[in-house]
Amino acid sequence: MIRKAWREWPVTLRVAIATGALMVLLGLIASQQVLSTLSSLQNERLREVAQSHVGGLKVALGSFVLHRDVWEVYDALDRAGSEGAGARILFSAVADDRGRVLASSDPSRAPIDFEFEALLNDAVPVQEVTASEGRNSVRIVEPLFVQGREVGSLLTELDVSDLLAQRRSTSLALLAANSVATLLLALTGYWVVARLLRPAELLTSQMGASGVAPQKIPAEDIERTDSAFAPLLHNFNSMIDAIDAQREAERRLADRERFVSLGRLSSSLAHEINNPLGGLLNAADTIRTYSNRPDVVRSSADILDRGLKHLRDVSRAILEENRRDRSSALLSLEDFDDLKILFEPEANRHGQQLDWNVDSEHSTASTFPSAPIRQIALNLLLNASSAAGKGGRVGFVVRAKSNGLDLKVTDNGPGLSEHARQRLLSGTPVEPGGGVGLRLVRELVGELGGEVALERIGDLTSVLVHLPDRAPDQ
Amino acid sequence: MKRRDFIKSAAATVAMSLPFLARAAAPFRLGLTPVFLDNDALIIDRLRSSVSAAMGEPAVLIQRRTYQEITAMLLDGSVEAAWICGYPYLQHQDRLTLIGVPQWRGQPLYQSYLITDVSDTAQSLADLKGGTHAFSDPDSNSGYLVTATDLARGGSTPVEFFARTIYTYGHRNVVRSVAGGLTRSGSVDGYVWETLAQVEPSLTQRTRVVARSEWMGFPPFAARKDRATSESVRRFATILKSLDASDVGREVLELLYLDKIVEGEESLFDSIRLRMADLPERR
Repeated sequence: MIRKAWREWPVTLRVAIATGALMVLLGLIASQQVLSTLSSLQNERLREVAQSHVGGLKVALGSFVLHRDVWEVYDALDRAGSEGAGARILFSAVADDRGRVLASSDPSRAPIDFEFEALLNDAVPVQEVTASEGRNSVRIVEPLFVQGREVGSLLTELDVSDLLAQRRSTSLALLAANSVATLLLALTGYWVVARLLRPAELLTSQMGASGVAPQKIPAEDIERTDSAFAPLLHNFNSMIDAIDAQREAERRLADRERFVSLGRLSSSLAHEINNPLGGLLNAADTIRTYSNRPDVVRSSADILDRGLKHLRDVSRAILEENRRDRSSALLSLEDFDDLKILFEPEANRHGQQLDWNVDSEHSTASTFPSAPIRQIALNLLLNASSAAGKGGRVGFVVRAKSNGLDLKVTDNGPGLSEHARQRLLSGTPVEPGGGVGLRLVRELVGELGGEVALERIGDLTSVLVHLPDRAPDQ
Repeated sequence: MKRRDFIKSAAATVAMSLPFLARAAAPFRLGLTPVFLDNDALIIDRLRSSVSAAMGEPAVLIQRRTYQEITAMLLDGSVEAAWICGYPYLQHQDRLTLIGVPQWRGQPLYQSYLITDVSDTAQSLADLKGGTHAFSDPDSNSGYLVTATDLARGGSTPVEFFARTIYTYGHRNVVRSVAGGLTRSGSVDGYVWETLAQVEPSLTQRTRVVARSEWMGFPPFAARKDRATSESVRRFATILKSLDASDVGREVLELLYLDKIVEGEESLFDSIRLRMADLPERR
């Protein structure tokens, strides 16, 4: 959950947070090091303080202990504890060489002849003194020597609360300073990283979410970014330009494809126009020759009428095909009639059998745009015709269904080559050399939200196109 | 010790060969014992300056840790006179003479106090048996002799009666020892305790007087008998007894909480003499 949320955050924020976290870690390590050094320094200072107190007492007490002079020992301890510098001494006791207390600064706690060992507890020699948290005093035990002979022992309890308080306040001040420094570093790190990553962020935002076309980065934004990133952003803009150019090229190609289709039909259409012309001229001669015979004139006029109507239909279909625009009128039955007029001569030219089967009662057809479907059907028919070859068979079936419109183009040719199949069924780049008719079919069907399928049953190859119902406004 | 002996003998040789020079150069030396608040530097300095002023010559005040040392110095002539306790005075009465006795609270007498911690429930010396006890000095009347003779009269000795005894070599130290809990009880000069009660009440308030002795002769100023007639000793004796007549002298007496210094009678020390009789081995 957290990991997912983390991944959803902007990269700028994540990098900055990571930088801040590293700074905090660095701060912690640095603080730990400094505190450790501080601690050892303070222990050293503590030992110095302890040494100065204990050292002075040892010198003062030596001969008194040697003589077991209770009063002088007490006097020395009492004065050491009550005079200014001795305020640190909480308690002290001196034992003779038998381990018996000679005198202590607090006789109620350690009276004369008290067992010295019982007072020692956790007392340590002065060189081993350390300040531990939670304890405001340290206990030191040191032997007393006179002329190299050990004559007794000294126990001193020193108040180190001020040193510990100082240590605490120093530690707190240090931690506070480190925290502020870390915070500043983290913020600076965030600012620097955010600034460094601004081009990446810009790039990400302009790249757009999935399904949204990438946008060019404005020139003024590029100028404001780090110079090292500027070429990258310029390259990105160039890429956007290239994509736009490619789209434009594809659009032009699709437009041209219509003329290509017509071009491929031109010779058969020329025949279609030329063939009736001989009959029409004959009819005109017949009328001229037998102008006195009304029955002949009438039958010749009928021939003229039929021929001219045919010519009118052919030219209308050609004009219609040229005039069509992708976003123009909706599909109607006339579109399929036009297609038949345009394609039939081509089939005839090749001596092919054309099975034309358009469901004349389709009602949903009117919600489809005319131009792309005419283009799809014409491209597939031309492809089928060239595949079927001389004397082959080409079939065209249109069925209106409850969920859309089905087109089916069949031929008895050898089937689609691998390249042709890829153009029709996949989005892989078109290899140079082949036509773009089948790829255009795929793209047009895709734009209409439909699907293309291919099947081969016996010697018949069928291309199946299913176009789903569209809302009238689409 | 050898070095000190050498200096002494050298000084003696010089003094004998050049008596007028020696007399002119040698200051008047007064020995002091802790019969008063000898820890107070101000008192010592005032005493020295007033003695110097009155004598018209420099004076040196000499302090030692024990009574015995000062007594020895007095006897061997290292000091011309000394303020000592009645007990050592009587011990060496054959060689010493009184040159003045301080008068305190209207009479040249004082008492010895037996003190304990203020919280101690002891009502008499007998209640302190088995405890620790602080004496001032083995040659002190109030700080040793009185308690020792009280015990002797009961057939005991300090060593037997107390678990442990210590010498503090100062009456103020006895009070400190008891107030600080080092010892359960102590024998102290009544004059010193009363003076402390005025100048350092925080100390005496932690102690309680369990018993007071009979009145006894106040620690006197003494000189060697054979020097008593010397000019400097006579002049010093005169000055002592006229301290209350001068401003400087009265100031010193006020610092010492004394009325004046009087001639003093030998009979003042009879009670001490009686006690000494009870301690034949210490006589």
